[in-house]
Amino acid sequence: MTIRNKAAIVGIGQTEFSKDSGRSTLRMALEVVLEALGDAGLKPQDVDGVVKMGANDDIFEIDLLRSLDLPNLRFFNEVPHGGGAACGTIAMAVAAVAAGMADVVVTFRSLNERSERRFGQSSAGGAVGGWMQYNLPHGLVTPAQWIAIFAQRYLYEYGWTTEELGRVAVLCRKHAATNPHAMMYGRPITLEEHQSSRWIAEPLRLLDCTLDTDGACAAVVVSADKAKRLKGKSAYIAAAAQGTGRRAEMMTSYQRASLCRLEEAEATAKELYRIAELGPTDIDVAELYDHFTPMVLMALEAYGFAPPGKAPELLGEGRLELDGDTPLNTHGGHLGEGYLHGFGHIVEGVRQIRGTAVNQVREVRTCLVTSGTAVPTSGVILSKEPY
Amino acid sequence: MGDVARPYPRPDRDTTPFWEAQNRHELVFQRCKQCEAVRYPVGPLCPRCRSFDFDWVVSGGRGTVHSYTVVHHQAHPAFPVPYTVVLAEMDEGPRVIAQLRTPPDGRCEIGMPVRVEWEDHPHQSLPVFVPDEDRGST
Repeated sequence: MTIRNKAAIVGIGQTEFSKDSGRSTLRMALEVVLEALGDAGLKPQDVDGVVKMGANDDIFEIDLLRSLDLPNLRFFNEVPHGGGAACGTIAMAVAAVAAGMADVVVTFRSLNERSERRFGQSSAGGAVGGWMQYNLPHGLVTPAQWIAIFAQRYLYEYGWTTEELGRVAVLCRKHAATNPHAMMYGRPITLEEHQSSRWIAEPLRLLDCTLDTDGACAAVVVSADKAKRLKGKSAYIAAAAQGTGRRAEMMTSYQRASLCRLEEAEATAKELYRIAELGPTDIDVAELYDHFTPMVLMALEAYGFAPPGKAPELLGEGRLELDGDTPLNTHGGHLGEGYLHGFGHIVEGVRQIRGTAVNQVREVRTCLVTSGTAVPTSGVILSKEPY
Repeated sequence: MGDVARPYPRPDRDTTPFWEAQNRHELVFQRCKQCEAVRYPVGPLCPRCRSFDFDWVVSGGRGTVHSYTVVHHQAHPAFPVPYTVVLAEMDEGPRVIAQLRTPPDGRCEIGMPVRVEWEDHPHQSLPVFVPDEDRGST
């Protein structure tokens, strides 16, 4: 049995992205779920599955159940590890649909991360357990600081400079600049602006770090057979997978043989390409998780777009531009559009497949979407046609 | 700054001997009694041979900088910036996170030899790294 093209995303929803949504995360979640169902030609009473991302939101399936009065919620699931979970929610939905455990599965992310709870700040006092106990007491307390340890080693081993990090930010901001939905619409940056932005945690500068965003996104997954009967234009799910690496921790897997390889992403890539029977050269658009610029470089290598240590050359050669071999983060990504922990990438992937994106790439047949790096992660390959 | 507590470990039934050793100013690792593999972070089972039997070995406290970050953006009230956090690869194998203490003009470099010194805090003594002058710079 394979899950290849057994299911499709048939509806998407997305609020505006802002620094202050002015409303609750539950309200935004309901707005995008209703929008996605309407987009698909479905009704709330059709929903019998909900998959949510774990961590950092307080909305549970029973909140959707009560608010929407769902009469028959029979599949519900929460995928762990923060941003690594985004495409994992799609993978769980595909599994449920393929196994007959649900017919219509809603997945979503809703955050007031800018106005209510900023991820990049820490006031954790008191006692900490788990992997945190080896890091927090020493002042290594934020995602930027945890990632900086990997990034410094990557630049050292391959002889790159922070300019290579800057080119990732410049590209994402370029794509965001022409996306009216993006927080950084109309605000491209130059490499010089990147290089003169203030240090956060060396080698990361301010412009290497994701935005904090208020907003919400949702996607509706149904079986491929059902998708063909619905009005919405489907993005078939050629593959969906989760992946892990050895000696895994949440963003601090420092005991690993190499700090320059994303083992979780490599495992996810291998599984996605196996299921889809595709390879990196078959991917028309790539929406790669970009909370911090160096992880985009490592992800490009993990997903096979460049050999180890060579991803910066792709940027230097313009191969990730909208008219390049593999256009990257066409909506502007977390660095330019906004940070919905990977869910904005899924929604943009569907738009690229549908041909409705503002920065539409020509003749898109396949789109790779990936989720958080340096954590147990996930990815999907979307396809215009089932094959 | 001083009235905001820095985070400190919450020892459990696996990690208590590790943190008690740090309060004695000893950096310790677990060593498997079956296969002699040294492991870190602390855990009940040897991931190599799956034996529960282990003893504690005291690290010589010497290693080299495997990676580091200089933190400039203050994200936590207990940690005034700038400060340097090092991931050191210890001679015994494990990599350990701790802050670097250097002279005022001191820089951190990957490959730099370091050794452990100790700082006492209200809840827990913690290691810091200092340049290991005996071994010079590589």
